[in-house]
Amino acid sequence: MANEPVTLTIDDKTVTVPKGTKVVDAAKTVGIEIPVFCYHEKLGPFGCCRMCLVEVEKMPKMATACTLDVGPGMVVRTNTEKVEKAQKGVLEFTLLNHPLDCPVCDKGGECPLQDNTFKFGAPETRMEFDRAHNLKAAPLSPVITLDRERCIACQRCTRYSDIIEDERALVMHNRGFKNEIGTFNNEPYATRFSGNVIDICPVGALTNTQFRFKARTWDLANSDTLCSHCGVNCNMTMGTRTNKLLRIQSRPNDRVDDGWICDKARWGYDFLESKNRMGMNKSRLSGDWKALTPKEAAVHVAEAFKKIADEHGPESVGFIGSAYGTNEELYLYQKLFRQGLGSNNIDHKTHPGSPGLPIAHHDLQDIETSDLVLLLASDPAEELPILELRLKKVAKRGGVKLAVLGDQSTSMDRYAEWSGRYNVGAAAAVCEALAAELAGSGAGADLAGRAGLDGEQIKTLADLIRGSQKVTLIYNPVPLSAAAHGQLSRLMTAMGQIGEISCGAIPAAPGTNAVGALDMGVLPDYYPGGMPLAGGAEAIQAAWGENTPTAPGLSAMQMIEQAEQGRLKALLIHRANPLADFPGGKRLAAALKKLDVLVVHDIMQTETSRLANVVLISNGPGYDEGTTTNIGGRVQLRKGGLKTANAPDWKLVSMMIRALDENAPEYAASFGVTAEIAEKVPGYSDISKKSIKKEGQTRTQPPVAQGAVESPSEQATAGGLRLRIAHRLFAQDAILDPSSQLSHQFQASTATLNEADASRLGIANGDPVVITAGGGEVRAQAEVSNRVNPGGVVVPRVSDEQDLMTLAAEDAAAVDVKKA
Amino acid sequence: MTQILFKNINLEGLATLPVYEGQGGYRSLEIAFKKQPEEVVEMVKASGLRGRGGAGFPAGLKWSFLAKDVFPRYLCCNADESEPGTCKDRELLLKNPHLLIEGMILCSYACRIQTGYIYFRGEFYDLAQIMEKALDEARRKGYLGKNIMGSGFDLDIHTHLGAGAYICGEESALLNSLEGRRGEPRMKPPFPAVEGLYAKPTVINNVETLCCVPWIISEGPEKYAAIGTEKSKGTKLVSVSGHVKKPGNYEVVLGTPTREIIYDLAGGIRDDNKLKAFIPGGSSVPMLPAELVDTPYDYEALQAAGSMLGSGALIVIDHTMNVVEATHRLMSFYMHESCGKCTPCREGTRWLWQILSRIMKGQSEGDPISKLNDICDNMSFKCFCPLGDAAIAPVVSGIKHFRADYEEFLQNAATGAAG
Repeated sequence: MANEPVTLTIDDKTVTVPKGTKVVDAAKTVGIEIPVFCYHEKLGPFGCCRMCLVEVEKMPKMATACTLDVGPGMVVRTNTEKVEKAQKGVLEFTLLNHPLDCPVCDKGGECPLQDNTFKFGAPETRMEFDRAHNLKAAPLSPVITLDRERCIACQRCTRYSDIIEDERALVMHNRGFKNEIGTFNNEPYATRFSGNVIDICPVGALTNTQFRFKARTWDLANSDTLCSHCGVNCNMTMGTRTNKLLRIQSRPNDRVDDGWICDKARWGYDFLESKNRMGMNKSRLSGDWKALTPKEAAVHVAEAFKKIADEHGPESVGFIGSAYGTNEELYLYQKLFRQGLGSNNIDHKTHPGSPGLPIAHHDLQDIETSDLVLLLASDPAEELPILELRLKKVAKRGGVKLAVLGDQSTSMDRYAEWSGRYNVGAAAAVCEALAAELAGSGAGADLAGRAGLDGEQIKTLADLIRGSQKVTLIYNPVPLSAAAHGQLSRLMTAMGQIGEISCGAIPAAPGTNAVGALDMGVLPDYYPGGMPLAGGAEAIQAAWGENTPTAPGLSAMQMIEQAEQGRLKALLIHRANPLADFPGGKRLAAALKKLDVLVVHDIMQTETSRLANVVLISNGPGYDEGTTTNIGGRVQLRKGGLKTANAPDWKLVSMMIRALDENAPEYAASFGVTAEIAEKVPGYSDISKKSIKKEGQTRTQPPVAQGAVESPSEQATAGGLRLRIAHRLFAQDAILDPSSQLSHQFQASTATLNEADASRLGIANGDPVVITAGGGEVRAQAEVSNRVNPGGVVVPRVSDEQDLMTLAAEDAAAVDVKKA
Repeated sequence: MTQILFKNINLEGLATLPVYEGQGGYRSLEIAFKKQPEEVVEMVKASGLRGRGGAGFPAGLKWSFLAKDVFPRYLCCNADESEPGTCKDRELLLKNPHLLIEGMILCSYACRIQTGYIYFRGEFYDLAQIMEKALDEARRKGYLGKNIMGSGFDLDIHTHLGAGAYICGEESALLNSLEGRRGEPRMKPPFPAVEGLYAKPTVINNVETLCCVPWIISEGPEKYAAIGTEKSKGTKLVSVSGHVKKPGNYEVVLGTPTREIIYDLAGGIRDDNKLKAFIPGGSSVPMLPAELVDTPYDYEALQAAGSMLGSGALIVIDHTMNVVEATHRLMSFYMHESCGKCTPCREGTRWLWQILSRIMKGQSEGDPISKLNDICDNMSFKCFCPLGDAAIAPVVSGIKHFRADYEEFLQNAATGAAG
């Protein structure tokens, strides 16, 4: 077995480690450092740098500790004269043609080559020739610059590209002394995860173009923070100097990111200094724009809402938050609206979905111990990139089978043991079919047929599930209709009812804190901790006080409808941009314009904030600290790093609450709010500053609401094609604007449709097309392929300017596609 | 003299199937197919045949190491003959391709292999064409394909051309190259017998090794084992090059005194010059001084003398040549051919070449000889694969036996005579 213990001695110390451990890692466990360059625990052994040579009794030659498995009774010596001479020799070779431009090197101060030379090297070199010269600044991509002179050919980066990315995009060229890293045909090395090679480079060869020559590493202030771009919440370190963010590096946490971050995490921070950031807190409620201090702004907003709620009833005010707020921000806002204003008009999303799962909420690490991962309606490469790396890893390693069920084939299909494609908009039928098949009702094949899959396929998938010990279902709730959510819930219940199998799910929404937003009760029908209004008023009043509202509130889309009709008078929008992100897009402007009070609390100026009569500055990531809950239910702390005179969001909201209730608590720091969450929100009682410090802490999943799952049927489409809007990692929006370092990753607007539909519509691959629906019109380039079934069209959202949401309806929309 | 591989090597048309069959070609298959595969392995073991590519590992033993019950398995014939001085496989491939095919069929049958590859060095384009023709003939005649000669055994053989890298003669780099990866040696373990080509059990043998097998099966392992010395059985092809009158390939019985090869077969030293040194087994083995010319040409005796039989390339150096110059030329080869994967070989070969160049220019300062020796020591057994050790062999042995040649350059430098 892999975990069988093996005992050996290293420098006379007895070490017991699991079988298969490399000597270099075994030595670490007893505090013995064996120097390495090429070895990296995530890449596995390679043995090319020869830095880790050790003596092993009964072995005629010295061995490389990074390639050598421990053996029982093995006697390893790392500090003999022979080993020390070898180390000095190897370092002399390594440094022979290294430029030693340490005084200006970005890696200086955190460089393994410097450190190993200091600890294990000879005091002087015997190199009597001029050092070889090479290119000092070869751009590998717009964001990575390679200093060829500094490269020591350890091949960490090329192996990363091969083993971790599975792309072999970065490779070694040429041979011997002339070998160098490069790409096919000198094309840019621009994968979604390219930046990790900078972190793992043991010298200053692979440099961050933006950070080059900007600072000495020891002058940086480093904050251990989290990425705020997607629902994985990868751990990262933010290096700042003179209150300026200079670089971002990965900060390995195997429970979350497995040691890597994507390029959006690393370089998607230009919004911090964007000219489009909110300039100041200001209001025009009483005429001209007037600047407000944070305290003034909080009181002003609280009073304006209070006044309307008093005059027109609490149902006339509403709050739309977002999956991008922290738990603290979201918690305080729902508290403001519920306890302060008495309204349940609280929401944060436009797709269906409620807290709680009928089966276990799996953590990301559960993927590694599952034997089947079923990916449903999810495209991790674009939605949650680091999840893609972990799925590739387990699928390639073996032991974990991957089943992919989607309406469009994706990059994950080639790793899949099983893959099936259903019709666009038919997720409900496919979930129903699989649930029926698992329940043995016999109706599965017929239902699958309606979804565009064949009956045999769904049988095979059901058999795969039944034949597993542990199954993880990963699904993206965002594109699923209400009907699909209902059927998905039935599917999960059916999975949970198979005996002997441990089943869990990961609701893999792309939003940073999508799970947290549900948990914090930023919903019209659920209180924090998944407490449903449908469960009765008593329980809610017992937990939140007698005056807390118990009538269901309006959903986000209903609030906008009510605004249109003049019944909703005041709306506060936190970190959301309905005009770009909600179905209807810009067409919603008319409704928002009718509001008496529109407060937008956001980082960036948006189409929506331009309509506001009060704007509040949200500092957001980089500045404010707070916790977020990732797709695996893990709560972690996102620290700040940059300073600002603006009040943090949590502070601003807590001042609003205190403006309405002077007895409300005054928090000294965001952790004060976290402590209140731990006290008040079921499932979060274990969350504290201490418990989440190291690797985060999973919260206890909320209970699933009792009662029958409502399952409306999916609407049939009359004519046209069913549209699904796909998520793109590098989409041009308020966060990644055209000035972003990542603008080279932007893609053109495309529409993927089936060959059958294309030929019927007279559209050829590459043709410009116009897509129309409900008054909206979007231009795109046709991608004619069989990646989608007939009857559907998938259009990725590549930029805000594309106006894609004008085509969208609350449920899957039918669109017309024509050649332009 | 016993001739096994070269008995009829210059027979016209031998490369064609009818002529080859007329010489008794492919008869060994009938014998082998009547036996169990394991018995064929035992015969090769009993013959004492050792790998002719350089390492001299017993061939039968290698075959018996294949991971049990793991299929498919592969046979890779190493026809990447790149060792400086070596050209023996070339002659076999050029003139007697069916002999190799027959040997590969026997090996594949013995090891239950159904796919074989012949990995040619890139420059062997013409030989690969000849081989393709021979393979085609063999396929048509039913020596390859399904149910060969009614035995129920299936095999096909494919040719593959490398892109011209010395390192691809190293077996694991060969596998990488064959798989379409960069020609760099792989970590061992896993050894090819367990995880070789496409991570499946793989036998890798040199052309000459496989060509010995038909004779062993036809004539019997005892007869083969009776040839040669106690531990070095059979005959060996020796490529004699350098300062001799008749350079070329000669088949000798292992244990023949080296003197006989140089003076009798190769006609002695050119211009009747004095023998100064010889490299017995290709450029990767240490050179020996003239005094050791009576050393029997076999694995053990050459090792005892401080060198190795290697690939059987005997490079002869006469008294007109300074060993530093020869070493410099060889180092330029190793610098060029180092794959660059490991640090000591990539950097060391270049540094050694730089120092040797400077010595020859008479510009050295200090004690370059000690430095050369110490750099070699820092490379010795510390590189990823044997290429690094091969690269230092001429330096270390040259300094050991011909220090005077180095000193000549250094003294010239001191007096300003060289330039």
